[in-house]
Amino acid sequence: MSLLNEFTKGIIKENPLFRLVLGTCPALAITTSVDNGLGMGAAFTAVLLGSNIVISAMRKIIPDSIRIPVYIVIIAAFVTMIDLLMHAFSPDLYKALGIFIPLIVVNCIIIGRAEAFANRNSVVPSIFDALGMGVGFTLALVLMCTFREVLGAGTFLGVRLFPETKAAIMMILPPGGFVTFGCILGFLNKLQAKNA
Amino acid sequence: MLDITKLCIFLLVVSTVAAFGVGYVNSMTAPVIHKQAEQAKVNSFREVYPQGDEVKDETAKYLKKDSSPLLKEVNMAYKGGAPAGVIYTVEPKGFSGPITILAGFDIASRKLTAIKVLNQTETPGLGAKAKDPLFQDQYKGKGTETDLEVSKTPPTKDNQIQAITASTITSKAVTSGINAAREHFAGNFK
Amino acid sequence: MQEYFIIIIGAVLINNIVLAQFLGICPFLGVSKKLSAAIGMGAAVTFVLVLAGLFTWLVQTFVLNPFNIGYLQTIAFILIIGALVQFVEMVIKKYSPGLYKALGIYLPLITTNCAVLGVAILNIQKDFDLGKTIVHSVSHALGFTLALILMAGIRERLESEDIPKCMQGVPIALVVASLMSTAFLGFSGLI
Repeated sequence: MSLLNEFTKGIIKENPLFRLVLGTCPALAITTSVDNGLGMGAAFTAVLLGSNIVISAMRKIIPDSIRIPVYIVIIAAFVTMIDLLMHAFSPDLYKALGIFIPLIVVNCIIIGRAEAFANRNSVVPSIFDALGMGVGFTLALVLMCTFREVLGAGTFLGVRLFPETKAAIMMILPPGGFVTFGCILGFLNKLQAKNA
Repeated sequence: MLDITKLCIFLLVVSTVAAFGVGYVNSMTAPVIHKQAEQAKVNSFREVYPQGDEVKDETAKYLKKDSSPLLKEVNMAYKGGAPAGVIYTVEPKGFSGPITILAGFDIASRKLTAIKVLNQTETPGLGAKAKDPLFQDQYKGKGTETDLEVSKTPPTKDNQIQAITASTITSKAVTSGINAAREHFAGNFK
Repeated sequence: MQEYFIIIIGAVLINNIVLAQFLGICPFLGVSKKLSAAIGMGAAVTFVLVLAGLFTWLVQTFVLNPFNIGYLQTIAFILIIGALVQFVEMVIKKYSPGLYKALGIYLPLITTNCAVLGVAILNIQKDFDLGKTIVHSVSHALGFTLALILMAGIRERLESEDIPKCMQGVPIALVVASLMSTAFLGFSGLI
């Protein structure tokens, strides 16, 4: 039951992107198409899973005073591995995500989970925590992508919904990223205020 | 002092293990990445010049100091040992940065076979449409005697290219790159 | 000379690191409530970003490239930036307590500022020499500071505006950022 809890909390209650407002850079930059969102989410989840497992397994032997540099090395190693694997096996996605793959290293969510969760819990709950956070982040990205791709390009996952001339190009340009994110956050605040 | 040494050694050990891990993955993926890059290059060459069974980089032979600065690479396509086509890599400056384009020319018929926009950073939805077949296919089969021109209305003359709506700068940039290649082709392969 | 000019205009206005490339959004949203804090953060980031650009370029050119271990780039760069931030913090603390007091709280945040790592990687990707690397880093840092200060100026005024409750704070800041980014789009035809 509690494991399930670790999993679901990342999706809604502590959604890293919408509730904690972490990891905003990739969320704004690469959410121009749903494909990109799914790819980024998968890469992110893989890195988080790896770093959470290793850090929780090593939590008793990592000296407290240098734990942050150790986390960063571990995370950077996983990011580089994912980077190379994507380059080799999914070159189109690699090109689309570009610099934002190495930048997963400085995604505050990952180091935040290492510090707040993996450091204090054993391996199994950490796996569920990583999966929950990863899925939560991915869903949030896909939601942003859906708005932006449908409104900005008139397509969903590349399938055309309405003619391109009717699409608001602004939505896939940088301003569209900011405004979509702002509106989603505002809407969630409204929902929360109603429920409370 | 002992503490600091211990911490340093710990960090060093972690870094070394991490580096070896990454090195292992790299040794696994490097050949795949290399092969893919080669394959991608061959594929895009084939797209702009479908005939020919071997392509050789002959940039050094054909690009001189006084060649147009837009020209970056000259690749020769051979068919049965004889040169059949020329594939240029050109890099004109677009609206928001350089645009890398491949242009294929057929030596026998003296025509442009096709162009392909490889890399661009133009505005999505506007200049980025230079990648669309709708725009690129206009260049297919154009002659190499006169410079190509960009027109905002549907073309009336043979050497006209219709600009992408609201992206004249991008269209002109692409065309200027192709013209540089055309001029070089007309001058060097008679 | 012209090349440098293009790099500067390109980095400060056209490809503004925050508004067009989406790097460094966290501090952009977090530290833009007060003008004074924004200036402090801008100065701290400028300082670290330029140093990081310099050191990562040196490491890439003299260590990673000769030994053919380019794949260790991410690890090496993040360690350099982390160490640099630590070091800068210690030096400033010792020699200029006043500056430390002003920048101190922002310094640790910079390690995870993706703008720093982002620009370091961009420098390498664009194949810059040392001079261009420095100009490019300085310009991006200035672009970051510019965006941050503009944003803080607007947000200070927003405080007294009547904004719907659900949009207060980060949501309205994002909408403002969107408008700013639209304005910056207008620069894209400059070069």
